[in-house]
Amino acid sequence: MTALVSPVVPETIPSATPYLQMRGITKAFGTLLANDHVDLTVRDREIHAVVGENGAGKTTLMNILYGLIHPDSGEIVIDGSPVRIRGPRDAIAVGIGMVHQHFQLVPVMTVAENVVLGQEPGGIVVDRRAAVRQVGELSERFGLVVDPTARVETLPVGVQQRVELLKILYRGSRLLVFDEPTAVLTPQETDELFEILRGLVAGGKTVILITHKLNEVMAISERVTVLRQGRNAGELETAKTSPAEIARAMVGREVLLRVERDEAHIGEERLRLDGLKANSDRQLPALDGIDLTIRSGEIVGIAGVSGNGQLELAEVIAGLRPVTDGHVFLGGEDVAHQTTAERRVHGLAYIPEDRQARGLVLPFDVKDNLILGSQSRPPFAQRGQRNSDAVDERAKELIQRYDIRPPDPEAPAQSLSGGNQQKVVVARELAENPKVLVAAEPARGLDVGATEFIHRQLIEQRDHGLAILLISSELDEIFSLSDSIAVIYRGHIVEVVPSAAADRERIGLLMAGGTIEGGTPSASQVAQAAAALANEPPGTPPVESAHQ
Amino acid sequence: MRMLAAGITPVLAVVLAIIVGGIVVLASGSNPITAYESMLVGAVGSPFDISETFISSIPLILAAYAVSFAFRSGLFNIGAEGQLYMGAIAATWVATTLSDWPGLPLIIVCIVAAMAAGGAWAGIAGWLKAKTGAHEVITTMMLSYVAIDISHWLLEAGPMTPANAFGTPESGPIPPQAAFPVILPSWILPNARLNASLFLTILAGLVFAWILWRTPLGYEIRAVGLNAKAAAYGGINVARRLVIAMVIAGAFAGLAGMVPVWVQMRLYDSFSPGYGYEAIAVALVGKNSAIGIFLAGLLYGAMIHGAVAMQANANISGFLVQILQALVLFFVGAEVLIRWFLRRGGFRALAEAAS
Ligand SMILES: Nc1ncnc2c1ncn2[C@@H]1O[C@H](COP(=O)(O)OP(=O)(O)OP(=O)(O)O)[C@@H](O)[C@H]1O
Ligand SMILES: [Mg+2]
Repeated sequence: MTALVSPVVPETIPSATPYLQMRGITKAFGTLLANDHVDLTVRDREIHAVVGENGAGKTTLMNILYGLIHPDSGEIVIDGSPVRIRGPRDAIAVGIGMVHQHFQLVPVMTVAENVVLGQEPGGIVVDRRAAVRQVGELSERFGLVVDPTARVETLPVGVQQRVELLKILYRGSRLLVFDEPTAVLTPQETDELFEILRGLVAGGKTVILITHKLNEVMAISERVTVLRQGRNAGELETAKTSPAEIARAMVGREVLLRVERDEAHIGEERLRLDGLKANSDRQLPALDGIDLTIRSGEIVGIAGVSGNGQLELAEVIAGLRPVTDGHVFLGGEDVAHQTTAERRVHGLAYIPEDRQARGLVLPFDVKDNLILGSQSRPPFAQRGQRNSDAVDERAKELIQRYDIRPPDPEAPAQSLSGGNQQKVVVARELAENPKVLVAAEPARGLDVGATEFIHRQLIEQRDHGLAILLISSELDEIFSLSDSIAVIYRGHIVEVVPSAAADRERIGLLMAGGTIEGGTPSASQVAQAAAALANEPPGTPPVESAHQ
Repeated sequence: MRMLAAGITPVLAVVLAIIVGGIVVLASGSNPITAYESMLVGAVGSPFDISETFISSIPLILAAYAVSFAFRSGLFNIGAEGQLYMGAIAATWVATTLSDWPGLPLIIVCIVAAMAAGGAWAGIAGWLKAKTGAHEVITTMMLSYVAIDISHWLLEAGPMTPANAFGTPESGPIPPQAAFPVILPSWILPNARLNASLFLTILAGLVFAWILWRTPLGYEIRAVGLNAKAAAYGGINVARRLVIAMVIAGAFAGLAGMVPVWVQMRLYDSFSPGYGYEAIAVALVGKNSAIGIFLAGLLYGAMIHGAVAMQANANISGFLVQILQALVLFFVGAEVLIRWFLRRGGFRALAEAAS
């Protein structure tokens, strides 16, 4: 077993033979061609990005590579010789490892136990000490800082991802596949991950990375394969391309990588939080007296390092978390103790940050998900009965308007690609002409085209008078959409500034706890803020920081 | 189409159970063909047997609706047995108390009483779940014991025992005008016992499906069962929906308890041979759908009634039936195994994906 941990000496391969070739991969789900004669060529020791719109077939292609899905046709060639991958076991045997977007760790077990799971050292009885030692060595060798004896459930997401990575390194994988690893990471964690990836490539590994963030593609990849609607739409050298060109290849048209917006026409007060307090899941104070007002026709962005109360804030406003003190005024009425349903009737809509856990009933079909929250109100319910015609009609309208793919109202939500699931949530929440929208990470997992579309929807609704509270861990998103920016730190709003006057440095400092009262932030806080700010590598188009 | 696909597993499960059951019979030295033949003839070979098969099936089907309806909201109602006892007691009590009422109103009041009592009994478990988080597997089970004990107390020289009951634990007779009309004409089968409760069962199935698929309430109950967090987000009062789902489930069970009493026309002590427990299996085999449960209930009823003839004519122990029932359940549960049967290579991938 120790052999697995010993250094993997990369074989010298004539540079003419690519390390991995996938040729003519085709896979149909029913009538839908998820992959249509897709080719993918990855060279040894490169970081290869795979990009494409939501539903373009990226995850499907990677699942085929890893043996989770069996292609209808096509072949996989490694180092020039064709291989048969019938399951993950075969994939692991030929050196392929995969970090899924949804981690596959056992939360109650330790890091070391998770890493060795399935390949435990020792005979019948697992040699725990050996496991801890091996995992420790491994994490040291690859610069993956993690405590082998920590229980996985106690670790932050970014560290859990490292455990997944250690798992595949332990199995001796040479090709590491990451499916949207950065979607769940903070900017700082993303930077750390990229450092690790660079180190791994220097040590002889090869990486395939799926991401929707073009700045990440530009920052880390050497080449890019673009998929569009299940087909190849280009293979580009990162050094010789631009985000705009990649976006064009993905979408098939010009994409505006920034949002155009006019000056806000601010109207009456719609949502006012007054001394709002609430607890976290662990019953510790998470919101410590929030005062904030959002008026018709404006977008207020909440900037903050994640974990400073954003999640709790959204849930408290939505009525999903009890208020311990203070008031929530919705259209002038205190709804602090009203139910979620009552608040929805008052015109509140909410795009939750976790679409799978909160925003969707995954086994329900698309049309049923599109009425969640309105299921008991006309026109969907009439005289205690469901009005199927109204449900169908609404589904047809929204699927078309938001270009939800596949355009099948009866498809279960869980069969949709991640980005299309998000579109279902956004479409639904905007459909009932809300007065106030709480939008938490509205573009998470969306491709550039869809992000542009959703952002335009938000701006359009704002121009029609919607009051929007935008919560996002992407500072770019906050800056490009918000009319004013509120910085949250440890459950306090430390400052509210008009975005025209906002200065990224200053916002970053405030996010890290540098308060106006003159408290000096600690080194780690500054580092966090710097990481948040540095999320703008070369090649990223300038961010529109104020109105036109 | 969707329903067809869902139906494949249970049907295959039954076929596999018959094959494996046949091997068991063969191993015990008897002829499986004779065994199955006598069971089949015993279950549906004559109008009488068909009628009796239905009588065995109806309480199972209704009680299975109780299990499944709760399951749709994410709750394991394994106490249908107790809810069924409460339904039987309430209906009997109303019928014997209001024995001078005319037929139709009396039947209706009895049905309402049975459903209300079953619903209230299950509702207690739902309420405890919503209020305190007490696990429904424990509470419904406990409430079952309580209900059964209440029936013993009432019937064994208790308030419901008639004065002339010579020590047998039973209630007074159900007044004849309260009986369900017999639905088999006497030229087909004289003195048939199969009565209009069959229509009531079909109606119950329609109501079951209607609530779940055609009402906002059903939507909300299913949403709670599939993702309670998303349901709360959608403005659904999860706790209240859980209670309502249990009450409706219990109402089906209450009705299931009334039917056998209305066949025997008297509430006997320990009148249920465990309908509420068998119903869990029927619900599973029926895949929690109205039609599936109806068919699975008929299958189980046929096996139960057919076993009588099989024991008498083929001289094979009635235990074969229990083995068969267990096998059907096993194969339905072992869906993965069946998928493997259908698509050999897939199993490996699945197992590995899960690891
Ligand atoms: N198991 C499945 N059953 C039916 N359709 C599926 C299944 N898996 C994927 N699809 C469909 O195949 C297409 C490609 O999906 P895939 O998940 O590969 O997209 P993706 O490129 O990863 O998208 P995203 O960026 O949104 O994650 C989508 O239209 C999706 O709905
Ligand atoms: Mg994907």
